[in-house]
Amino acid sequence: MRVTQTMLSRNFLNNLSNNYDKLGKLQDQIASQKKINKPSDDPVVAMQGINYRTNLQEIQQYKRNFSEAHDWLDNADSALDEATQAMQRIRELTVEASNGSLEDNQRKSIATEITQLRDHLVEVANTKVGNKYIFNGTDTVTKPVDLSTNPPTFSTNNNPVNIELAKGISLKVNPDTSVFSGQQSGDLFFDLNNLINDLNSSNPSNIGGYLDKLDQATNKITNERASLGAVSNRIDLMETRNGEQEVTATKMMSDNEDADLDKVITDFIAQQSAFRAALGVGASIIQPTLLDFLK
Amino acid sequence: MTSTFFGLETAKRGMNTQQSALYVTGQNISNANTDGYSRQTVNITHTEPYPPVGMNRPQLPGQMGTGSKIADISRVRDAFLDQQYRGQNNQLGYWSTKADALSQMEQIMNEPSDDGLSATMGQLSQALQDLSVHPEDEGARSVVLNRAQAVAETFHYLSNSLSEIQDNLGNKLQVSLKDINSILKQINDLNNQIAKVEPNGYVPNDLYDDRDRLVDQLSMYVNIKVTRGPTSPSASPIAEGPYKIEILDASNKSVGTLVDSDGYYQLGFKSGEGPESDNPTEKMISGFTLEKQGNIDFDVASFSQGSLKGLVESYGYVGTNGSSGIYPDMLDKLNKLALTFAQKFNDIHSSGTDLNGNAGSNNFFIFASSGNSADYAKNIELNSSITTSMIAASSSATKEPGNGQNAIKLANFQNEDLSTNGSNMINKGTIGSFYAGVIGSLGVDAQQANRLTANSSNLKESVDQNRQSVSSVSLDEEMVNMIKFQQAYNASARNITIVDEMLDKIINGLGTGGR
Repeated sequence: MRVTQTMLSRNFLNNLSNNYDKLGKLQDQIASQKKINKPSDDPVVAMQGINYRTNLQEIQQYKRNFSEAHDWLDNADSALDEATQAMQRIRELTVEASNGSLEDNQRKSIATEITQLRDHLVEVANTKVGNKYIFNGTDTVTKPVDLSTNPPTFSTNNNPVNIELAKGISLKVNPDTSVFSGQQSGDLFFDLNNLINDLNSSNPSNIGGYLDKLDQATNKITNERASLGAVSNRIDLMETRNGEQEVTATKMMSDNEDADLDKVITDFIAQQSAFRAALGVGASIIQPTLLDFLK
Repeated sequence: MTSTFFGLETAKRGMNTQQSALYVTGQNISNANTDGYSRQTVNITHTEPYPPVGMNRPQLPGQMGTGSKIADISRVRDAFLDQQYRGQNNQLGYWSTKADALSQMEQIMNEPSDDGLSATMGQLSQALQDLSVHPEDEGARSVVLNRAQAVAETFHYLSNSLSEIQDNLGNKLQVSLKDINSILKQINDLNNQIAKVEPNGYVPNDLYDDRDRLVDQLSMYVNIKVTRGPTSPSASPIAEGPYKIEILDASNKSVGTLVDSDGYYQLGFKSGEGPESDNPTEKMISGFTLEKQGNIDFDVASFSQGSLKGLVESYGYVGTNGSSGIYPDMLDKLNKLALTFAQKFNDIHSSGTDLNGNAGSNNFFIFASSGNSADYAKNIELNSSITTSMIAASSSATKEPGNGQNAIKLANFQNEDLSTNGSNMINKGTIGSFYAGVIGSLGVDAQQANRLTANSSNLKESVDQNRQSVSSVSLDEEMVNMIKFQQAYNASARNITIVDEMLDKIINGLGTGGR
C-alpha cells in the first residue's frame, strides 16, 4: 500500500484523538468516582442505579423514622417512669393517712402533698415532645388533661400514631392514653380527686380502700411501660435490620455504579503511556522527509 | 537522411516535456495539504517517429524517435473507493446525527444523578414520610409543598428544554435542506463548466476534484448513486463527463434524480409543512418533495438514509401510525408521566383528611390551561390555593392532627400499581418502574447510536485511508520525481550542447584544411 505523509499525519491525529477520548472517559470516571456518567455508557447500570437509589432513599428515610419512633417511646417511657414514682409516693402517703390515729390537720397536709403529686401527674400526662402531646392519641395539638375546666377534661382520643418503619410495616408508637383518664371510678384522676376530697373531709372512713385502686392504676402504668418496652425492643431489632439493609443497599449501589478506582487508575496509567508513546512515535515519524536527506 | 538540426529539436522537446512535468510536480507539492485534491500524474509519450509511414518516405535504415510530449495530465483516483466512502459517510451522517440528538437528551434528563426527576420525586417522598411522622408540624408541611413545587418545576424544565432542542433540530433541518440544495446547485454549475471545457480536449482535473468534494458532502445528507454521463465526441478519452446523481430510498432503490446534464432539482418539505410553520399541526413534517415537473413525494419512513433522515427522526415526523420520533416520543412519555403522577397523587390526596378535618383536595396538582392542553409536563402546576394546613396527611375521616397515615400512602406514590389506569395514562407497573424504563430505553438507544457512529466512523476512516493511499500527494514521491525530471531536463540541455558542438565542427571546423 502506498503511504503518504498526509495519511500518516491524519492517522496520527485520529489515534491521538481516540487516545484523548479514552483518557477523558477514564478521567471522568476518576473525578466522578462513577462507572457511568450518562445512561448510554451502560443502560442496565443506569436503570438499576435508579432503582437502587430509590431503594436506598427509602431505607435512609426509615432510618430517620426510627429515631422519631425512639423519640416517642423513650419520652413516653420516662414520663411513665416519673408517673410510677409519683404513684409510689402517693401510695406511701395514703398508707400513712389510712392510719386512724391521724389528726384532721395531719391528713390535710398529706392531702396537700398528694394534690401536688396529682398536679405533677397532670404535667406528666401533658408531656410534650417537640410540639406534640404524646398522651393524646392522634390529637397531638390539644392538652390531654386539663383539671382547670369544669368538668375537668380528659383525653378521649386513643387512636394509634403509626410510623412506617419498613415497607408496609407501621408500628404504633404512642402510649395508651387511658392510663391518664379520669372520667369514672377506676380512672386515675377520678380516684385521686376523690382521695384528696376524702382526706380533706373530717373523719374519713375508707382511706385504706383507695390503696387497691391506686395499685390498679400503678399496674396499668407499669403494664403500659412494659408494652412500650416490648415495642421498643421490636423497633431495635428492626433498626438493626434496617442498618444491615442500608449497608447492603449502599454496597449494591456502589458495586453497580461506582468506579473501581484501582482498576481505573491502572487503566489510566496504561492509557497515558500509550498516549505518550503515540506522541513520541508520531513526532519522530512525521518530521523527517526525503528533503532532509537531499543535498 | 534527417535534417541537420534534427537532434536540436528532439532535445528541445525533451526539455519542454521535463519542464512541464516539473511544473505538475510543483502543482502536486503545493496542493499536498489541499482537502479533496487528487495527485496528478503526467503521462509522457514519445512523439511521432521519423519518417512516418508513406509512399514518399525518405529511405532511412529505420524510424528515428523525435522526442517526447505530454499526452495528458490525469488525476489519480479510484471511483470504486469513492463509492465506498460515500456509502460509509452516509451511514455516519445518519448515526452521528441521532447520537447527537440522543446525547443532548441524556444531558437534559440528567440520570442517574442526585438532581434528576427521579431524585426530585424521591425528595417529595421523603418530605411526605417526614410529614407522616410529624403530621401536625407546619415546617414538615411547608417542606412538602416546596418539594411538590420542585417536582412540577422539574417537569417544566425537562419539557421546555426538550422542546427547545426539538426546535433547534427543526432549524437544523431547514439549514440542512438549504445546504443540500446549494450543493446540488454547485454540482450542476460544475457539470456545466466541465461540459464546456471537455469538448476542447482538456481534462479539467481541478473541477473534477471540486465536484467530487461536493458529492462527498452531499453523501452525508442523503444516500445517492452517482453515474457518469456521456462525454462530447471531441473530448479526451479520460474525460469524466457530467455526473448524474440519483437519490436512493431506504431500500437503496433509485427514486428520483437530483442532478443530471439537464439541470438540478430542489429538495423541500412536503407542501405546507415545515418547522417554520406557525401552525403546530403543520410543524411536524410527513415527508419531502423533489421539485420537478410533477413533484415527487417521499414518506419519511422510506426516505433516503443519511443525516437528513437522522434529523427528521430526531425532530419528529408524521408517519402512518401517527407522529413519532426521538423527541416527540420522549415528550409524550413525560406528558404521560406528569398526567399519571398528578392524577394518582390527587387520588390519594383526596382520600385523606387535612389538618382542619376537611376532606383532601382532588386538585393538589392542576394543569394550566394555556398552550396545548396535551402538554401535561409543561402545564403541571401545584395548585396555588393549597395551603400547608390543606395537605391531607390524615387517613381518618375526622380531624386528627397526629394521624399521618395518608402521608405514608402519598409518600409511596412511586410504587402505586397503575394497572387500573385509563388509556392516556401509564397503565402498567408503577411510576418508578416506568421512569426507570424510560431512562433505560433512552440509554439503549443512545448506546446503539454511539456504537454505530463509532463503527461507521471507523469504516469511513479506513475507506478514506485507502482513498488517500491512492490519491494523496506523497512528498517523497514528488521529491524523487522532481530529481528525475530535473536530471532529464539537465541531460536534454547537455544534449543540445553536444549537438551544438557537433554543428560547430561542421560549420566552423570543416573546409579550413591547411589553414
